[in-house]
Amino acid sequence: MDLKHNGFPVPSDYFGVLWALSGIKDLLILEHGSTGTCNFNAFNYMIMNRQSPKGKLFSSGMDEDDVVMGRDEKIREAIVELDRKYHPRIIALVATGVTSMIGLDLKGIIEEIQPTTSARMLSFPSGGFAGDYTTGIREVFGSLARNIAEDCTKEARSNDASSWANPCTVNIIGPTIDSFNIISDLAELERMLGLMGVRVNTVFTCNTDVEAIKNLPCASLNLVTRDIGLEAAAILKERFGTPYYYGLPFGVKGSIDWMKDIAGILGIGLDKRLVRAELERYGYSILELVNFLQNIDHLRAAISCPFDYSSGLAAMMRDEWGINPSLIVLPASPIGPQRLNREANFGLGKDVRLLIEPDSWTLQDAISSMNPHIVFGNSYDLQISRNVPIRIHAAFPAFDHIYRYDGTPFVGLRGHAYLTQTIVNLLNQNPEVFRN
Amino acid sequence: MSIENKCLRLSELPDDGSLAATAHAKYPGQHCSFRAVAGTVPLIKNSYALLFGPAICLYNAKLSMNMRSLTSDPRPNNLLFVNYSQDDIIFGFQEKVRVAIFQADQEYHPEVLFLITSCLQEIVGEDFDACIDEIRPSVKAKLLTIHTENFTCEGAAPGVENMFKSLFELMKEQPQEERTANILGLWTSTARKTELVRLLSGKGVRIKNVIPSYCTPSELEEAPGVQLNIVLDQYGLPLARMMKEKFGTNYIYCRKPYHPDSIEEWYQNIASALNIDLSVEVADLKKKTEALREKARAALAGMTCAVSGISGRPFDLALLLTSIGIEPKAMLMQTIQPEDRPDIQSLLNAGVDPIVFRGDNSLQNEELLAELSPDISVGAFERSSLARMGIRPVILSTSNYLLGFESTLEVMRLLMEGIPGIEALLYKEKILAGGEC
Repeated sequence: MDLKHNGFPVPSDYFGVLWALSGIKDLLILEHGSTGTCNFNAFNYMIMNRQSPKGKLFSSGMDEDDVVMGRDEKIREAIVELDRKYHPRIIALVATGVTSMIGLDLKGIIEEIQPTTSARMLSFPSGGFAGDYTTGIREVFGSLARNIAEDCTKEARSNDASSWANPCTVNIIGPTIDSFNIISDLAELERMLGLMGVRVNTVFTCNTDVEAIKNLPCASLNLVTRDIGLEAAAILKERFGTPYYYGLPFGVKGSIDWMKDIAGILGIGLDKRLVRAELERYGYSILELVNFLQNIDHLRAAISCPFDYSSGLAAMMRDEWGINPSLIVLPASPIGPQRLNREANFGLGKDVRLLIEPDSWTLQDAISSMNPHIVFGNSYDLQISRNVPIRIHAAFPAFDHIYRYDGTPFVGLRGHAYLTQTIVNLLNQNPEVFRN
Repeated sequence: MSIENKCLRLSELPDDGSLAATAHAKYPGQHCSFRAVAGTVPLIKNSYALLFGPAICLYNAKLSMNMRSLTSDPRPNNLLFVNYSQDDIIFGFQEKVRVAIFQADQEYHPEVLFLITSCLQEIVGEDFDACIDEIRPSVKAKLLTIHTENFTCEGAAPGVENMFKSLFELMKEQPQEERTANILGLWTSTARKTELVRLLSGKGVRIKNVIPSYCTPSELEEAPGVQLNIVLDQYGLPLARMMKEKFGTNYIYCRKPYHPDSIEEWYQNIASALNIDLSVEVADLKKKTEALREKARAALAGMTCAVSGISGRPFDLALLLTSIGIEPKAMLMQTIQPEDRPDIQSLLNAGVDPIVFRGDNSLQNEELLAELSPDISVGAFERSSLARMGIRPVILSTSNYLLGFESTLEVMRLLMEGIPGIEALLYKEKILAGGEC
């Protein structure tokens, strides 16, 4: 049994539900549980870039009588109050562990109260027992794609020309408020799309509103940046025929390929002069930043990030820095139709270790046995790697790291420039790594 | 009707001190005992704690400790986590509990192993205590169970009291040692540097334990042998009563005061219980405090404030503020203790009758403050929200771990100096609100 002394208890689907819903502006979350659970969340939002659920998350304040008698008056009163006072478009009822265990029927409550409530009501009844947080995020994505997105084709909305599918608009599907470095990464994705003349309809769900979710089908392409968005993209494709493209741009080649792929799907040209200007500005190779006595091909690196970041970072390090990561750690197996393939996803040889959801002891052993020079990971990974000279925050949770500023992307051409510059600066601050 | 007109004045407070809930949909609400206990047990040396709960509670508990590790008062990393899954609800949890206890005992070798339950075990109703009793003879660590169900109460108090009471199981009959004392209810690594400890040490009184701050289990075993337990908060009171009943250990219940006259009386009571004389030292400190109070009055008189989240005696702090010339317009409280009554009466006698408001809902608190528009907010409150309302925050965290006159001196320093960065924050919010650049 892993007692998680040096690691952290993996957040449950309950958290995923909260985080996936929290980026939707005119939606309120009402959880049915004791206030202690809600109060605790003020803390866990704070570790995600100092965010706060204030004004977004509410508790019904369940008490002993509610538990023993299975009463639901408190949640009903809270729904009425939220509906009348704040006029949200959606109220999402979220179960906590206690609600889930006593078996309170949230859907039944909605059926009874919906006719007298202005807000549309949704329920998420798992209460933290259905899996890890990615399960909760997928549950929300699926629910919104199935229940809120509306057909906005010409036939369906003949009187509303502005909402017809626009050939140069895309949705970004995948980022939620827990996504690491999301402010900078989104800024870079939107900038690169802007270079191609492509506008982002909405970011599902870390920066969106109910109207934008209704209008998801108005975009002509869904860009999935995180494996947990694939299911929702598939639902949108099935319901509205919107194609989707999956991948995050890492490194120079990865970024150019990403732009070319999107341009190809949208049937637009990619201006070569523009690409050249971008490369001149952001495409500097690591060889241009180190001197001829600074050898880096012997450096050992470990990457401990979710699948999309791990695979992108590994490819960039291998292909553009000449550093082949010796250890890849995934907090969870990749989700979706793609199969985990060491070679295809990471270009891994047999001498490279791939760990999926390891306990903290296994991770600690792996780090100490390979003795890396560089580690990309979350706050706990970096704590375990205390003796590693170059430690870079690159994953959630990052309780000791703030990423509010929008100029530190990991993805795209500016991400390549930022990471390459950062790694060289860190190498220079730890010159012993050139020698051993 | 304005929110102010819907609120109680202090003079209208019902006899039981209860405050009506301000909303059906609450945020954030009062925090739970599980969190409070998880944050406290690391203070006991040579201990580990097994936290049994669903991932919701465990993840948040870990993060709370991690955030604490980045402060001036970090807590030792002694928390271990056992996830309570749906299968455990259906098939029972006892085997998992047993395995976890043996593993923690063998891998970490704690002198004491705290076993902390959450709401779910209590609802499922497995006999947790019987399970522990069965395991107890087979492990080296002393097993102390703390029940922290939150759905049975609105605050953290019962669980925290349970934490104190669990320590009673470590205590043994001791011969009484004159000129010794324990302090109950001070939660900091700097407890032994406080003014109270310095003054008592100066008179030959040895502080044997500050409970729960960094005592070892063997020190706690000897805790009943002191001349006096000095109980600083309500959470430690049940333990003091148990120690009095079983071991005859005398106690004095004296929450932290703020007004110089109250502090003087507080010291007199403690000195009297220990048969020592602190009058000269206290007079010196009081004089120094009153001198600073005059300076504070010159700088701050005429201002208005709201008070929230105060350690110790909140209405005595309000009396101090009144004596500086700052009018408390509202007191945002979680609970009002019966022992607050004399301070409430003193405040009313001074002609001050602030609004008393249940302070566990941020949005309602902000509505009230926006309407009252006090100059400053004293205590715990979100700084950015206050800045948006043009209210200056005075955060008392550095005074929370101090006692006696030094605490009041720190409060007055904080009132006069302001917090770093506040001018820039107020400037930004003013412009964002449409003010002149």
